[in-house]
Parts: sequence; structure tokens; C-alpha cells
Amino acid sequence: LIVEDDDHIRTALRLMFEGEGFSVDDAGTGEVGVALFSRMAADLAIVDVMLPGMTGFETCQALRAKSDLPIVIVSARDNTADVVLGLESGADDYVTKPFVPEELLARVRAHLRRRPETSTHAFRMGHLEVIPDEGVVRQADGTELHLTSTEFRLLTDLASVNGRILSREDLLERVWGYDYFGDSRLVDVHIRRLRMKIEPDPTNPRYLVTVRGSGYKLVL
Amino acid sequence: MLQRSLRLRLLITFGLGALLLSGLFAFLTYSGMHHVLVDDQQHTDLSQSYVNAALVRSTLYTSPPELGDELNSIEGATNSSLLVQTHHQWLSKSKGAATADVPSAFLTLVASGHPSSQILTIEGRTFFVVGIPIPAVETQFYEVFQLTRLENTLRTLLQVLIAGALLTFLLGIAGGLWVTRRTVRPLERVSMAAAAIAEGNLSTRLQVTRADREVQTLTESFNEMVSQLVDRIERDARFASDVSHELRSPLTTLATTATVLQQHREELSPAGQASLDLLVADLSIFQALVEDLLEMARNDAGASPLDIETVDGVELVRQSVRSAARRHGIAEPPLSFDGLGPTPVDVDRRRFERVMTNLIDNAHFYAGGAAAVRLSVSDDQFFVDVDDAGPGVPDEEREAVFERFFRGRAAHDRGMARGTGLGLALVRDHVRAFSGTIQVLDSPDGGARFEIALPLAKGELS
Repeated sequence: LIVEDDDHIRTALRLMFEGEGFSVDDAGTGEVGVALFSRMAADLAIVDVMLPGMTGFETCQALRAKSDLPIVIVSARDNTADVVLGLESGADDYVTKPFVPEELLARVRAHLRRRPETSTHAFRMGHLEVIPDEGVVRQADGTELHLTSTEFRLLTDLASVNGRILSREDLLERVWGYDYFGDSRLVDVHIRRLRMKIEPDPTNPRYLVTVRGSGYKLVL
Repeated sequence: MLQRSLRLRLLITFGLGALLLSGLFAFLTYSGMHHVLVDDQQHTDLSQSYVNAALVRSTLYTSPPELGDELNSIEGATNSSLLVQTHHQWLSKSKGAATADVPSAFLTLVASGHPSSQILTIEGRTFFVVGIPIPAVETQFYEVFQLTRLENTLRTLLQVLIAGALLTFLLGIAGGLWVTRRTVRPLERVSMAAAAIAEGNLSTRLQVTRADREVQTLTESFNEMVSQLVDRIERDARFASDVSHELRSPLTTLATTATVLQQHREELSPAGQASLDLLVADLSIFQALVEDLLEMARNDAGASPLDIETVDGVELVRQSVRSAARRHGIAEPPLSFDGLGPTPVDVDRRRFERVMTNLIDNAHFYAGGAAAVRLSVSDDQFFVDVDDAGPGVPDEEREAVFERFFRGRAAHDRGMARGTGLGLALVRDHVRAFSGTIQVLDSPDGGARFEIALPLAKGELS
């Protein structure tokens, strides 16, 4: 699903992705995009930030409320504030214009290739039980805690190294599947969102710990 | 040439001016008073002498032997010395008088029948001598007045006047200080503000305070000038930013459609394929150029705030080098850091990564790739040396390589330059933003060394 208000870019992107064998739906506004998504379930969404009417951020939130599909936002600016706002509104990744089309393609492929890996056994974190095989996190009362696929990967990857530190770059490579220039802000924002969900006190994390100057580790 | 200080000149002018004026005033006062007081005293003394001379004459007529007592009693009453000469013989004198003190010319003048008076200075003391001939008894009467009291009065006057002159001088200096402060202070403030602005602190303005009209005018026109300059700088920066901004959408379309064309490359004729390759190659340069221009414009406009955090420089360099190498599919240059531990530096991660990428790109484009990246710490600075084994940078180009769109010999030698011409300029901008420096040296590998020096962070790693 491509949501982009510039006709030329939208058509070009559509042609490119179709040329690579994807099936593409496109929309010129956020409203149309969200409505389209309700009718056909897309595997991935590319959303431009600057949209008339409903903004890209709002579109992200609306899509995220319906599904945990990977969302890549396309931003005209790469201010930290904009990037963080985009990621906070539910996006998994972002590219800035003018982007290198191959890079966008590579990222889209990486997100679609990514499936919850089963390398880790089920483990407990306080009152939470993480079951990688089923891709779910259970709370003490048996209800499921909802994590996006990116958040889930982040958690299980940190668990799979048995408490070792993973640098932001390691995490980019493992979770996002990038073996090129990534942005460490991606990791920081997702870690923060994950903490909001799993930590009893997100400002003073017990499990998902920052290691100064190096990266993150999971303390069980 | 000795630099003249306005402050010093004003002080000297005021001080000397006050001294000169008060000195002149004191001098005139003193000489005037001196004249008046001395005249007055002489007048009094003279008339007293005539009275005394009359007394002496009547005594000589009636009972000459009593003259001595008579003189002593007069002397006691008048605080003067009396001398009487008859027939060229000193007839009598009072106790304090000395004949030798009266000059002989004066004696002769009086002896010839002319009453006279004269001022004498003997051993630093001033005397007033009056001589009156009494022809009837062939006698000359002399009276010598001591002017001690007058002298004392004049001395006191002089002291008061000198003290007054000194006081005026000091007041002049104080006035000078005050005036200097009022005139020079605003000037100093202007020059400090101008210096701050020159250092890039564009929000500096002079404070408009209640002051003299001239100073206020200066302040206002200075602020006005700065505002207009800043407006202009911002307009220029905004223009560059807008241009790049507007280029982005069509450029994205172009790049994407070029990718679509590449998907259909096999369907094109050989000429079509060659054209497509050229198109794609130049598009990527164009894209990099727009990206660099945008970043530069944002820096110039101060639109993207620095996101400074304290990070481990060694780890950051390692990661940046790896990313840069992978991005271009080139071999990762060896990293040597001589067992350097975590080294805290204050940088914006994204921009620092950009710095390393651009340096490695630069070596890749113009020097056959970076030969090594060497890290070291000395003198509270973290050094990052990116070394290559290329042709090096000639001395005269070592500053210029950091200029925007500078194309050095190396670029020309390689025919088609593949960089944007902005990479190193961006590197320098970013390094400066971290309070660091960058310079080109000779590398031990025979090529150029780009050396970044960053101050070590005081804070802890975050």
C-alpha cells in the first residue's frame, strides 16, 4: 500500500514495485489509504509524511490501530523531531526524500522477509511470559500483551544473546535486516516504545537496560 | 604607529585642561591680591613713618637725649626698626635695627633731601624701608618695617590657591572619567556585539537603554543593521533550502523511474542501455548533491538543531567506518587505536557518521580508498586520522579542499569527478559544530591524512 500525494512519485513507485513483482495499491490521501486498507489487507505500507488533510503521522496511527503490518514513512525532512514523531506514531522505519529507490526496495524486502524467529525459548520477565513460537506475550492474568512485529523481534533478539550487550548497529542489522547505513534513532525510539509496554516503570527500566556508550541488553 | 586610545586622550584632555585653567586662575588671583595687599601695607606704613618722623623731629628740638627711649617706645608700638642719622652720624637707633642692611644708594638718596621708600629682601625675608629727611635738624629718619604678617597672609593665600588648583585638576580627571565612560562604553559595547556577531552569534543585539540621544541612535542603527544582515543571511539560506526542497520531488520521481527502466534494461537497444547507465550514474550524483546542499542549507540557516550527546568515540568511529564501507560496497579500511579504551566525545551521532562517511568517500573517489583509520588521544583531544595512499594534497590546496565546490588537482586528474564537491565542506562544518578542527597532513602511507581533533568530553557516556 502506497500513500503519497505526489502523482508522479506515486506512479513511479507503483511501477517500480510492480516491476519487482509486488502487487500495489495506492492512494493520494491518508483518508483514502486507510479506507483502502480496511477493504484489502496489505503486507506493508509506505506513507508520505506531508499529506493534504490527514497527515502521514495520523495515517500511521490509524493503520497501526488496525494492524501491526510494517510501515515505512517517507519524510521530506530528517530532523530528529520529525523522525521521532513518525516512529512514535507507529512507523517501523523511515526514509528521507530524495531517497535512493534501491534503498527503499531493500528496506521493503527486509521488512517483508522478517518473520518471528524461533531461536529463543519461551521466557518469563516478571509477570510477563514471552512465547516466541507463538509470537505472543502473555500477562499474568492470561491476556495477551500487544507488540508490533518490530517490537517483538527487538525483544526476542535481545533475549537470544543471553544478556549480552547488543549495539544499536547490531540491533539494526538483526531486527531491521540492514547491512548498510542505518539510523540509530530507529532503535532508540523502538526501545522506548517497548519499555512503555513491558516495563513496570518505563523511566527507570529493570529489564531493558541501556549500557552507556555501547547499546542495550536484556536483564532477566 | 602607537595606537591612540580615545579613553586616554579624553582623560588627558580633561585633566590637563582643568589644571591649566585652575592654574591660570590661581596665578591671576595671587598676583592681584599680592599687589593690592602690598600697596595697602606700604601706604599704611608710609603714613605711620611720617607721623613717627614728626615725633622724632619734635624730640630733637626739645630734648635730644630722650631720643633713644622715644625710638624704643615707637618701635614697641609699631613692630618696626627705627634709625636716625644726623650729620652723617648714626645718632640713635632702636634695638632691632641694623644700619648695614640699608643699601648706601638709598642712604645717599635720602641724605640729598628726597623722601624715599624701598622694598628690600634680606635673607629671604621682605622688609619695607622708608627714609624721610628732616632738613631742619640735618637729620634723616629711617624706618624699617618687617612684612612678616603680610608674607604669612600671602603664603596662606598661595597654599589655598595651589590646593584649589589641584582639587580642580582632580575634578577634571573625574569629569574626564565620567565623560569617557559615557562615550567610550557604548562604543565598547558596540564592538563587543560586533565581535559576537562575527563569531556567528547572530542573535546578539545591543540593549536599548535610556541613554544620550547619540548613543541611542547608534544602538538603534546598529541593531537595525544586524537585523537586516541576519534577514538577508536567512533569506539566502532559505533560498538554497527551498531550491533543494523543490528539487526533491521531481528527483525522487526521476530516480524511481530510472529504476523502473533498469528493470526493463534487457528490452533496450545497446545505445538505450548505455544511455540508461549514464542517466543512472548522473542521477545518483545529482541526488547526492541535492542531499548535501540541503544539509548545508539547513546548517547555514540553523534549521536543524545539533543533537549533541556524549558517546564513545572509538565505537562510533568503528561503526561509522563499517557503515560507510558497506554502503559503497568497498573494503573496510583497517582501524587502529592502540588499545584505546572508551573515549567520551560530545557529538551529534548522525552528523559524525556523516563526517566519517564523507572522509571515506573522499578517499575512495580521489585516492584509491582509505588505507587506514587511526585513532589516538593526546592533550585532552581525540584524534581521528583517515589516511590514504593516494597522490596526497599539495600544500597550497590544504585549506581550499574544504571550500564548497572546490575541485583540486586530484579531481581533475581523475577526469570525471564523482563527488559532489560539498563533502569535505560539510565535514568541516560538522566538525566545527562539535568544537573540533580538521586539517590535511601527509599520511604515513604516502598519501593524504585528514586529521580530526575533537575535545574530550567532560561528561559521562550516555
